[in-house]
Amino acid sequence: MNQIAILNHQFVVAAYVITWVIQLGYLAWLGLRWRAQKRYAARQDHGPR
Amino acid sequence: MKKIAISIYAAITVALMIWGFYQAIYVAPDEKTMHEVQRIFYYHVPSAMVAFLFFAISLAGSIGYLAFRHSSDVKAQISDAWALAGAEVGVVFCTVVLITGPIWGRRAWGIWWAWDARLTTTLVLWLIYVSYLLLRRFAAGPQVQTLAAVLNIFGALDVPIVYMSNRWWVGQHPRPVFGGDPDSGIKDPAMLHAFGWNVLAWLAWGLLILILRYVVERQHQKIAAQEAQNALDA
Repeated sequence: MNQIAILNHQFVVAAYVITWVIQLGYLAWLGLRWRAQKRYAARQDHGPR
Repeated sequence: MKKIAISIYAAITVALMIWGFYQAIYVAPDEKTMHEVQRIFYYHVPSAMVAFLFFAISLAGSIGYLAFRHSSDVKAQISDAWALAGAEVGVVFCTVVLITGPIWGRRAWGIWWAWDARLTTTLVLWLIYVSYLLLRRFAAGPQVQTLAAVLNIFGALDVPIVYMSNRWWVGQHPRPVFGGDPDSGIKDPAMLHAFGWNVLAWLAWGLLILILRYVVERQHQKIAAQEAQNALDA
């Protein structure tokens, strides 16, 4: 593999990895927020009387 | 039943993502001039298409909010939740476009960025929708949703400008892949095939997170409404 081909490969890997980090990071944030809201709603339902 | 349907849809989406990745990396042939780096195309362009679709959903949500805000609170809140979900997930996809584009450009053109019409209008689009999300996050008061809806409608005007920019103006960015000159676009059927699978995969993935974002926002609205009611009752 020549130098240009190696560099091309590294750039493709970087683009694909960054894409998945953004997408999965966002999905994880959404999941955490959903769980936190669900717990908060459950606490409100069984709150102090 | 609902849980099973979501699980099946999520499983199909994951299978599509794996298949799309396989098509993009192992099946599609190398492009003649750019070689392997052109494979960024299979993530870059579908992400842009999905971002445009979600900004359109967000626009429809904002128009719905403005239309229903005096007549039906439930419909207005549902519309607003779609507007917010569409804008936020659209920004995620637009961010992917704005990062993968320069990575590709660095190898293909030798530069990370050019103030070319397509790139600049896309950056402006991203900034408009980020400002929309910041407005939603940090502003308070009864008019926030209305102001955000109006900003969204003006922001959406940039979408057709972005789409047409590489037709109206000649710049660094390549000519349109579809609907451009007879000379532009991809001709190889194997490349088109890989591209089609990736569009489908990213659309399925995008819809999955869009629906999840919508559910989170509806849940948030219900909690806020309950808190407001509790405050009134106290």
